[in-house]
Amino acid sequence: MLRVKSGDLDKMGLLFERYHRTLFSFLYHMTGRADASEDLVQNVFYRMLKYRHTFTGEGEFRTWMYHLARNVLNDSIKQNKSRYHENVHELADKIGGGISADLEFEKKQDSDMLHKAMGILSDEHREILVLSRFQELKYDEIAGILNITEGAVKVRVHRALGELKKVFFTNANRKKAHDL
Amino acid sequence: MTCEHTKAQFTDWINKDPADPERIRIDRHLAECPDCQEEFTSSKQLWDMMGQVEVEVPTEKMRVNFNTMLGEYKETVRSRNKYSLDNFIDAIRQFVIPQWTVQLTFSLLLVGLGWIIGFRMNRSERAETAYTRQIDTLATQIQEMRQTMMLALIENPSATERLRAVSYTNDITDANDKVIDALFSTLDNDPNVNVRLVTLEAITQYAADPLVREKLVQSLAKQDSPMVQVELADVMVKLQEKRSIKTFRKILRQENLNELVKNKIEQTIKDLS
Repeated sequence: MLRVKSGDLDKMGLLFERYHRTLFSFLYHMTGRADASEDLVQNVFYRMLKYRHTFTGEGEFRTWMYHLARNVLNDSIKQNKSRYHENVHELADKIGGGISADLEFEKKQDSDMLHKAMGILSDEHREILVLSRFQELKYDEIAGILNITEGAVKVRVHRALGELKKVFFTNANRKKAHDL
Repeated sequence: MTCEHTKAQFTDWINKDPADPERIRIDRHLAECPDCQEEFTSSKQLWDMMGQVEVEVPTEKMRVNFNTMLGEYKETVRSRNKYSLDNFIDAIRQFVIPQWTVQLTFSLLLVGLGWIIGFRMNRSERAETAYTRQIDTLATQIQEMRQTMMLALIENPSATERLRAVSYTNDITDANDKVIDALFSTLDNDPNVNVRLVTLEAITQYAADPLVREKLVQSLAKQDSPMVQVELADVMVKLQEKRSIKTFRKILRQENLNELVKNKIEQTIKDLS
Protein backbone atom coordinates (compact mmCIF):
# COMPACT_ATOMS: atom_id res chain seq x y z
CA MET A 1 0.00 0.00 0.00
CA LEU A 2 2.90 2.33 0.73
CA ARG A 3 3.99 1.87 -2.89
CA VAL A 4 0.51 2.86 -4.05
CA LYS A 5 0.65 5.87 -1.78
CA SER A 6 3.90 7.04 -3.32
CA GLY A 7 2.29 6.99 -6.76
CA ASP A 8 2.70 3.44 -8.04
CA LEU A 9 -1.00 2.97 -8.74
CA ASP A 10 -0.46 -0.32 -10.60
CA LYS A 11 0.29 -2.00 -7.29
CA MET A 12 -3.38 -1.50 -6.49
CA GLY A 13 -4.14 -4.48 -8.75
CA LEU A 14 -2.04 -6.64 -6.46
CA LEU A 15 -3.98 -5.48 -3.43
CA PHE A 16 -7.21 -6.24 -5.24
CA GLU A 17 -6.11 -9.79 -5.96
CA ARG A 18 -5.05 -10.30 -2.39
CA TYR A 19 -8.00 -8.78 -0.55
CA HIS A 20 -11.10 -8.66 -2.71
CA ARG A 21 -12.40 -12.01 -1.47
CA THR A 22 -11.89 -11.07 2.16
CA LEU A 23 -13.67 -7.79 1.65
CA PHE A 24 -16.45 -9.38 -0.32
CA SER A 25 -17.04 -11.97 2.36
CA PHE A 26 -17.13 -9.30 5.08
CA LEU A 27 -19.62 -7.16 3.18
CA TYR A 28 -21.64 -10.16 2.11
CA HIS A 29 -22.10 -11.26 5.69
CA MET A 30 -22.95 -7.75 6.74
CA THR A 31 -25.51 -7.04 4.02
CA GLY A 32 -26.63 -10.55 3.14
CA ARG A 33 -26.56 -9.71 -0.56
CA ALA A 34 -23.98 -10.60 -3.14
CA ASP A 35 -24.74 -8.04 -5.84
CA ALA A 36 -24.76 -5.13 -3.40
CA SER A 37 -21.53 -6.40 -1.85
CA GLU A 38 -19.75 -6.38 -5.20
CA ASP A 39 -20.59 -2.72 -5.59
CA LEU A 40 -19.46 -2.00 -2.06
CA VAL A 41 -16.13 -3.78 -2.62
CA GLN A 42 -15.60 -1.60 -5.66
CA ASN A 43 -16.35 1.43 -3.50
CA VAL A 44 -13.82 0.39 -0.87
CA PHE A 45 -11.08 0.06 -3.47
CA TYR A 46 -12.00 3.42 -4.92
CA ARG A 47 -11.64 5.01 -1.48
CA MET A 48 -8.29 3.29 -1.01
CA LEU A 49 -7.11 5.17 -4.07
CA LYS A 50 -8.74 8.42 -3.18
CA TYR A 51 -7.63 8.44 0.44
CA ARG A 52 -4.29 6.70 -0.04
CA HIS A 53 -2.52 9.61 1.66
CA THR A 54 -4.29 8.74 4.93
CA PHE A 55 -2.52 5.38 5.13
CA THR A 56 0.45 6.05 7.38
CA GLY A 57 2.00 2.60 7.31
CA GLU A 58 2.13 2.54 11.09
CA GLY A 59 -0.79 0.19 11.61
CA GLU A 60 -1.66 -2.94 9.68
CA PHE A 61 -2.98 -2.44 6.17
CA ARG A 62 -5.81 -4.81 6.97
CA THR A 63 -6.99 -2.64 9.85
CA TRP A 64 -7.05 0.41 7.62
CA MET A 65 -8.92 -1.55 4.96
CA TYR A 66 -11.60 -2.56 7.43
CA HIS A 67 -11.91 1.04 8.57
CA LEU A 68 -12.68 2.07 4.99
CA ALA A 69 -15.01 -0.87 4.46
CA ARG A 70 -16.99 0.02 7.56
CA ASN A 71 -17.34 3.61 6.40
CA VAL A 72 -18.52 2.54 2.97
CA LEU A 73 -21.00 0.19 4.58
CA ASN A 74 -22.32 2.84 6.95
CA ASP A 75 -22.78 5.28 4.11
CA SER A 76 -24.69 2.72 2.06
CA ILE A 77 -26.90 1.81 5.00
CA LYS A 78 -27.73 5.47 5.46
CA GLN A 79 -28.67 5.78 1.80
CA ASN A 80 -30.47 2.48 1.55
CA LYS A 81 -32.47 1.75 4.66
CA SER A 82 -33.81 -1.63 3.58
CA ARG A 83 -32.35 -4.86 4.90
CA TYR A 84 -31.78 -7.44 2.25
CA HIS A 85 -32.49 -11.06 2.91
CA GLU A 86 -33.61 -13.58 0.37
CA ASN A 87 -36.87 -15.19 1.31
CA VAL A 88 -37.50 -18.89 1.28
CA HIS A 89 -39.61 -18.88 -1.88
CA GLU A 90 -36.91 -17.27 -3.93
CA LEU A 91 -34.52 -19.88 -2.62
CA ALA A 92 -36.80 -22.73 -3.62
CA ASP A 93 -37.00 -21.30 -7.11
CA LYS A 94 -33.26 -21.17 -7.30
CA ILE A 95 -32.64 -24.75 -6.21
CA GLY A 96 -35.22 -26.40 -8.46
CA GLY A 97 -37.19 -29.62 -7.78
CA GLY A 98 -36.45 -33.29 -7.02
CA ILE A 99 -35.73 -35.36 -3.91
CA SER A 100 -32.06 -34.49 -3.75
CA ALA A 101 -33.14 -30.89 -3.89
CA ASP A 102 -35.12 -31.40 -0.69
CA LEU A 103 -32.00 -32.31 1.24
CA GLU A 104 -30.15 -29.43 -0.30
CA PHE A 105 -33.09 -27.27 0.57
CA GLU A 106 -33.00 -28.32 4.24
CA LYS A 107 -29.33 -27.52 4.51
CA LYS A 108 -29.69 -24.29 2.65
CA GLN A 109 -32.62 -23.39 4.83
CA ASP A 110 -30.63 -23.89 8.03
CA SER A 111 -27.93 -21.71 6.65
CA ASP A 112 -30.52 -19.25 5.44
CA MET A 113 -32.13 -19.18 8.87
CA LEU A 114 -28.77 -18.42 10.41
CA HIS A 115 -28.39 -15.67 7.88
CA LYS A 116 -31.79 -14.32 8.79
CA ALA A 117 -30.98 -14.48 12.46
CA MET A 118 -27.80 -12.55 11.78
CA GLY A 119 -29.88 -10.00 9.94
CA ILE A 120 -32.05 -9.48 13.00
CA LEU A 121 -29.09 -8.76 15.27
CA SER A 122 -28.08 -5.19 15.93
CA ASP A 123 -25.40 -3.88 13.56
CA GLU A 124 -22.89 -3.86 16.37
CA HIS A 125 -23.48 -7.49 17.28
CA ARG A 126 -23.63 -8.71 13.71
CA GLU A 127 -20.36 -6.95 12.97
CA ILE A 128 -18.48 -8.46 15.89
CA LEU A 129 -19.61 -11.98 14.92
CA VAL A 130 -18.70 -11.44 11.29
CA LEU A 131 -15.25 -10.18 12.20
CA SER A 132 -14.50 -12.85 14.77
CA ARG A 133 -16.17 -15.89 13.21
CA PHE A 134 -16.45 -15.37 9.47
CA GLN A 135 -13.38 -13.23 8.93
CA GLU A 136 -11.53 -15.16 11.63
CA LEU A 137 -9.69 -12.13 12.89
CA LYS A 138 -7.85 -12.18 16.21
CA TYR A 139 -9.25 -10.15 19.07
CA ASP A 140 -6.39 -7.66 19.09
CA GLU A 141 -6.95 -6.97 15.41
CA ILE A 142 -10.70 -6.49 15.91
CA ALA A 143 -9.92 -4.16 18.80
CA GLY A 144 -7.82 -2.06 16.41
CA ILE A 145 -10.56 -1.96 13.79
CA LEU A 146 -13.31 -0.98 16.20
CA ASN A 147 -11.15 1.27 18.36
CA ILE A 148 -12.06 -0.57 21.55
CA THR A 149 -10.08 -2.69 23.96
CA GLU A 150 -9.52 -6.41 23.60
CA GLY A 151 -11.54 -6.98 26.74
CA ALA A 152 -14.47 -5.10 25.25
CA VAL A 153 -14.25 -7.21 22.09
CA LYS A 154 -14.49 -10.37 24.17
CA VAL A 155 -17.51 -9.10 26.06
CA ARG A 156 -19.20 -8.01 22.85
CA VAL A 157 -18.64 -11.39 21.16
CA HIS A 158 -20.13 -13.10 24.17
CA ARG A 159 -23.20 -10.88 24.17
CA ALA A 160 -23.68 -11.11 20.41
CA LEU A 161 -23.45 -14.88 20.49
CA GLY A 162 -26.01 -14.97 23.29
CA GLU A 163 -28.37 -12.79 21.29
CA LEU A 164 -27.88 -14.82 18.12
CA LYS A 165 -28.60 -18.00 20.05
CA LYS A 166 -31.81 -16.55 21.37
CA VAL A 167 -32.96 -15.43 17.92
CA PHE A 168 -31.83 -18.53 16.08
CA PHE A 169 -33.15 -21.18 18.42
CA THR A 170 -36.51 -19.45 18.84
CA ASN A 171 -36.81 -19.30 15.06
CA ALA A 172 -35.72 -22.91 14.67
CA ASN A 173 -38.28 -24.09 17.23
CA ARG A 174 -40.99 -22.13 15.54
CA LYS A 175 -40.07 -23.71 12.24
CA LYS A 176 -40.14 -27.20 13.74
CA ALA A 177 -43.54 -26.56 15.27
CA HIS A 178 -44.72 -25.36 11.90
CA ASP A 179 -43.40 -28.50 10.17
CA LEU A 180 -45.26 -30.75 12.61
CA MET B 1 -14.98 -20.72 38.77
CA THR B 2 -18.55 -19.47 38.66
CA CYS B 3 -21.07 -20.32 35.94
CA GLU B 4 -21.35 -16.68 34.89
CA HIS B 5 -17.60 -16.47 34.43
CA THR B 6 -17.42 -19.77 32.57
CA LYS B 7 -20.14 -18.87 30.13
CA ALA B 8 -18.26 -15.74 29.16
CA GLN B 9 -15.21 -17.88 28.34
CA PHE B 10 -16.87 -19.76 25.48
CA THR B 11 -14.81 -18.26 22.66
CA ASP B 12 -11.62 -18.81 24.64
CA TRP B 13 -12.64 -22.39 25.14
CA ILE B 14 -13.35 -23.00 21.47
CA ASN B 15 -10.21 -21.25 20.23
CA LYS B 16 -7.75 -22.73 22.67
CA ASP B 17 -5.82 -25.95 22.47
CA PRO B 18 -7.30 -28.75 24.64
CA ALA B 19 -4.01 -28.89 26.55
CA ASP B 20 -4.14 -25.21 27.47
CA PRO B 21 -4.42 -24.77 31.26
CA GLU B 22 -7.23 -22.23 30.84
CA ARG B 23 -9.21 -24.68 28.74
CA ILE B 24 -8.54 -27.52 31.17
CA ARG B 25 -9.95 -25.36 33.95
CA ILE B 26 -13.09 -24.67 31.93
CA ASP B 27 -13.44 -28.35 30.98
CA ARG B 28 -13.25 -29.28 34.63
CA HIS B 29 -16.10 -26.93 35.44
CA LEU B 30 -18.15 -28.23 32.52
CA ALA B 31 -17.81 -31.79 33.73
CA GLU B 32 -19.48 -30.83 36.96
CA CYS B 33 -22.09 -28.37 35.72
CA PRO B 34 -24.80 -29.66 33.36
CA ASP B 35 -26.20 -26.17 32.98
CA CYS B 36 -23.01 -24.72 31.54
CA GLN B 37 -22.50 -27.90 29.54
CA GLU B 38 -25.82 -27.39 27.80
CA GLU B 39 -25.03 -23.75 27.17
CA PHE B 40 -21.70 -24.66 25.62
CA THR B 41 -23.19 -27.42 23.48
CA SER B 42 -25.73 -25.06 21.95
CA SER B 43 -23.14 -22.34 21.48
CA LYS B 44 -20.81 -24.79 19.80
CA GLN B 45 -23.59 -26.03 17.53
CA LEU B 46 -24.25 -22.49 16.40
CA TRP B 47 -20.55 -21.69 16.11
CA ASP B 48 -19.97 -24.73 13.88
CA MET B 49 -22.98 -23.89 11.80
CA MET B 50 -21.61 -20.42 11.26
CA GLY B 51 -18.41 -22.01 10.03
CA GLN B 52 -20.33 -23.90 7.38
CA VAL B 53 -22.18 -20.95 5.96
CA GLU B 54 -21.29 -20.69 2.31
CA VAL B 55 -20.26 -17.38 0.91
CA GLU B 56 -21.19 -16.71 -2.64
CA VAL B 57 -18.23 -16.23 -4.91
CA PRO B 58 -17.84 -12.77 -6.40
CA THR B 59 -18.38 -12.74 -10.15
CA GLU B 60 -15.76 -12.00 -12.76
CA LYS B 61 -17.62 -8.75 -13.39
CA MET B 62 -16.15 -7.39 -10.18
CA ARG B 63 -12.58 -7.73 -11.44
CA VAL B 64 -13.50 -6.15 -14.78
CA ASN B 65 -15.18 -3.25 -13.01
CA PHE B 66 -12.20 -2.80 -10.74
CA ASN B 67 -9.77 -2.69 -13.64
CA THR B 68 -11.92 -0.14 -15.45
CA MET B 69 -12.12 1.98 -12.32
CA LEU B 70 -8.35 1.81 -11.77
CA GLY B 71 -7.70 2.73 -15.40
CA GLU B 72 -10.01 5.72 -15.23
CA TYR B 73 -8.51 6.85 -11.96
CA LYS B 74 -4.97 6.70 -13.32
CA GLU B 75 -6.12 8.70 -16.32
CA THR B 76 -7.59 11.46 -14.16
CA VAL B 77 -4.48 11.60 -11.99
CA ARG B 78 -2.33 11.95 -15.10
CA SER B 79 -4.45 14.72 -16.62
CA ARG B 80 -4.63 16.51 -13.29
CA ASN B 81 -0.83 16.57 -13.10
CA LYS B 82 -0.71 18.00 -16.58
CA TYR B 83 -3.17 20.67 -15.59
CA SER B 84 -1.37 21.58 -12.46
CA LEU B 85 2.06 22.11 -14.07
CA ASP B 86 2.15 23.08 -17.75
CA ASN B 87 -1.26 24.63 -18.03
CA PHE B 88 -0.79 26.63 -14.89
CA ILE B 89 2.49 28.08 -16.09
CA ASP B 90 0.96 28.87 -19.48
CA ALA B 91 -1.97 30.59 -17.87
CA ILE B 92 0.32 32.76 -15.76
CA ARG B 93 2.47 33.64 -18.75
CA GLN B 94 -0.51 34.66 -20.80
CA PHE B 95 -1.81 36.70 -17.97
CA VAL B 96 1.42 38.47 -17.13
CA ILE B 97 2.99 39.55 -20.40
CA PRO B 98 0.30 41.53 -22.25
CA GLN B 99 -0.90 43.23 -19.15
CA TRP B 100 2.25 44.95 -17.99
CA THR B 101 0.61 48.35 -18.25
CA VAL B 102 -2.08 47.37 -15.81
CA GLN B 103 0.59 46.10 -13.50
CA LEU B 104 2.57 49.29 -13.63
CA THR B 105 -0.46 51.43 -12.83
CA PHE B 106 -1.33 49.16 -10.00
CA SER B 107 2.11 49.27 -8.43
CA LEU B 108 2.25 53.06 -8.72
CA LEU B 109 -1.09 53.19 -6.98
CA LEU B 110 0.19 50.96 -4.20
CA VAL B 111 3.28 53.07 -3.69
CA GLY B 112 1.10 56.16 -3.42
CA LEU B 113 -1.19 54.52 -0.96
CA GLY B 114 1.73 53.33 1.13
CA TRP B 115 3.13 56.83 1.23
CA ILE B 116 -0.15 58.30 2.46
CA ILE B 117 -0.62 55.65 5.14
CA GLY B 118 2.96 56.02 6.30
CA PHE B 119 2.55 59.76 6.58
CA ARG B 120 -0.58 59.42 8.68
CA MET B 121 0.86 56.74 10.97
CA ASN B 122 3.95 58.75 11.67
CA ARG B 123 1.95 61.44 13.34
CA SER B 124 0.33 59.18 15.89
CA GLU B 125 3.44 57.13 16.43
CA ARG B 126 4.62 58.92 19.53
CA ALA B 127 1.41 58.26 21.46
CA GLU B 128 1.48 54.66 20.36
CA THR B 129 5.01 53.90 21.48
CA ALA B 130 4.04 54.66 25.07
CA TYR B 131 1.18 52.18 24.81
CA THR B 132 3.34 49.56 23.19
CA ARG B 133 5.91 49.94 25.90
CA GLN B 134 3.26 49.45 28.55
CA ILE B 135 1.88 46.38 26.82
CA ASP B 136 5.37 44.97 26.48
CA THR B 137 6.01 45.38 30.19
CA LEU B 138 2.72 43.72 30.99
CA ALA B 139 3.47 40.83 28.67
CA THR B 140 6.85 40.28 30.28
CA GLN B 141 5.25 40.33 33.69
CA ILE B 142 2.70 37.75 32.67
CA GLN B 143 5.43 35.56 31.25
CA GLU B 144 7.37 35.81 34.50
CA MET B 145 4.26 34.98 36.48
CA ARG B 146 3.61 31.94 34.35
CA GLN B 147 7.17 30.75 34.85
CA THR B 148 6.88 31.13 38.63
CA MET B 149 3.54 29.34 38.70
CA MET B 150 4.87 26.59 36.53
CA LEU B 151 7.86 26.08 38.81
CA ALA B 152 5.61 26.02 41.86
CA LEU B 153 3.09 23.57 40.42
CA ILE B 154 5.47 21.11 38.86
CA GLU B 155 6.45 19.69 42.26
CA ASN B 156 2.81 19.08 43.16
CA PRO B 157 1.93 15.51 44.20
CA SER B 158 -1.18 15.52 42.01
CA ALA B 159 -0.54 14.47 38.40
CA THR B 160 -3.28 16.80 37.11
CA GLU B 161 -1.59 19.79 38.71
CA ARG B 162 1.72 18.76 37.21
CA LEU B 163 0.06 18.46 33.81
CA ARG B 164 -1.26 21.96 34.24
CA ALA B 165 2.19 23.18 35.16
CA VAL B 166 3.61 21.72 31.98
CA SER B 167 0.82 23.25 29.93
CA TYR B 168 1.77 26.72 31.19
CA THR B 169 4.95 26.44 29.17
CA ASN B 170 2.89 26.61 25.97
CA ASP B 171 2.58 30.33 26.61
CA ILE B 172 6.15 30.86 27.73
CA THR B 173 8.00 31.77 24.58
CA ASP B 174 11.32 32.49 26.18
CA ALA B 175 11.86 29.93 28.91
CA ASN B 176 14.71 30.48 31.35
CA ASP B 177 17.12 27.78 32.49
CA LYS B 178 15.12 27.09 35.62
CA VAL B 179 12.03 26.22 33.59
CA ILE B 180 14.02 24.04 31.21
CA ASP B 181 15.69 22.23 34.11
CA ALA B 182 12.34 21.66 35.78
CA LEU B 183 10.91 20.25 32.56
CA PHE B 184 13.79 17.85 32.11
CA SER B 185 13.65 16.72 35.69
CA THR B 186 9.97 15.95 35.16
CA LEU B 187 10.70 14.16 31.90
CA ASP B 188 13.31 11.97 33.54
CA ASN B 189 11.73 11.33 36.90
CA ASP B 190 7.99 11.83 36.90
CA PRO B 191 6.17 8.64 37.93
CA ASN B 192 3.25 9.35 35.58
CA VAL B 193 3.72 8.42 31.91
CA ASN B 194 1.15 10.95 30.69
CA VAL B 195 2.91 13.78 32.45
CA ARG B 196 6.19 12.66 30.90
CA LEU B 197 4.66 12.55 27.42
CA VAL B 198 3.17 16.02 27.72
CA THR B 199 6.47 17.29 29.08
CA LEU B 200 8.32 15.87 26.12
CA GLU B 201 5.93 17.69 23.82
CA ALA B 202 6.48 20.90 25.74
CA ILE B 203 10.25 20.53 25.57
CA THR B 204 10.26 20.07 21.80
CA GLN B 205 9.10 23.65 21.36
CA TYR B 206 12.46 24.77 22.74
CA ALA B 207 14.42 22.32 20.59
CA ALA B 208 16.05 25.13 18.64
CA ASP B 209 18.39 25.51 21.61
CA PRO B 210 21.39 23.16 21.17
CA LEU B 211 21.59 22.60 24.93
CA VAL B 212 17.99 21.38 24.99
CA ARG B 213 18.74 18.98 22.18
CA GLU B 214 21.73 17.59 23.97
CA LYS B 215 19.70 17.06 27.10
CA LEU B 216 17.00 15.29 25.09
CA VAL B 217 19.57 12.82 23.83
CA GLN B 218 20.78 12.24 27.37
CA SER B 219 17.24 11.70 28.56
CA LEU B 220 16.78 8.94 26.04
CA ALA B 221 18.89 6.55 28.10
CA LYS B 222 16.89 7.26 31.22
CA GLN B 223 13.45 6.34 29.88
CA ASP B 224 11.91 3.00 30.65
CA SER B 225 8.34 3.50 29.42
CA PRO B 226 7.84 2.18 25.87
CA MET B 227 5.48 5.03 25.03
CA VAL B 228 7.95 7.71 25.98
CA GLN B 229 10.73 5.85 24.16
CA VAL B 230 8.70 5.69 20.96
CA GLU B 231 7.72 9.34 21.25
CA LEU B 232 11.34 10.34 21.84
CA ALA B 233 12.38 8.35 18.80
CA ASP B 234 9.89 10.35 16.75
CA VAL B 235 11.25 13.60 18.11
CA MET B 236 14.81 12.55 17.27
CA VAL B 237 13.83 11.85 13.67
CA LYS B 238 12.04 15.18 13.48
CA LEU B 239 15.08 17.00 14.79
CA GLN B 240 17.42 14.81 12.71
CA GLU B 241 19.52 14.41 15.84
CA LYS B 242 22.25 12.02 14.74
CA ARG B 243 23.94 11.98 18.13
CA SER B 244 21.06 9.88 19.41
CA ILE B 245 22.00 6.88 17.26
CA LYS B 246 24.63 5.73 19.74
CA THR B 247 22.15 5.79 22.61
CA PHE B 248 19.55 4.02 20.53
CA ARG B 249 22.03 1.24 19.74
CA LYS B 250 22.68 0.90 23.47
CA ILE B 251 18.95 0.61 24.16
CA LEU B 252 18.63 -2.04 21.47
CA ARG B 253 21.08 -4.20 23.35
CA GLN B 254 18.87 -4.22 26.44
CA GLU B 255 17.26 -7.50 27.27
CA ASN B 256 13.47 -7.91 27.35
CA LEU B 257 13.00 -4.78 25.28
CA ASN B 258 9.43 -4.28 24.09
CA GLU B 259 9.09 -5.70 20.55
CA LEU B 260 7.30 -2.60 19.26
CA VAL B 261 9.92 -0.28 20.69
CA LYS B 262 12.62 -2.42 19.16
CA ASN B 263 11.11 -2.13 15.70
CA LYS B 264 10.55 1.58 16.15
CA ILE B 265 14.15 2.18 17.22
CA GLU B 266 15.53 0.12 14.35
CA GLN B 267 13.44 2.18 11.98
CA THR B 268 14.61 5.40 13.67
CA ILE B 269 18.27 4.46 13.33
CA LYS B 270 17.65 3.74 9.66
CA ASP B 271 15.94 7.12 9.22
CA LEU B 272 18.74 8.98 10.96
CA SER B 273 21.73 7.35 9.31
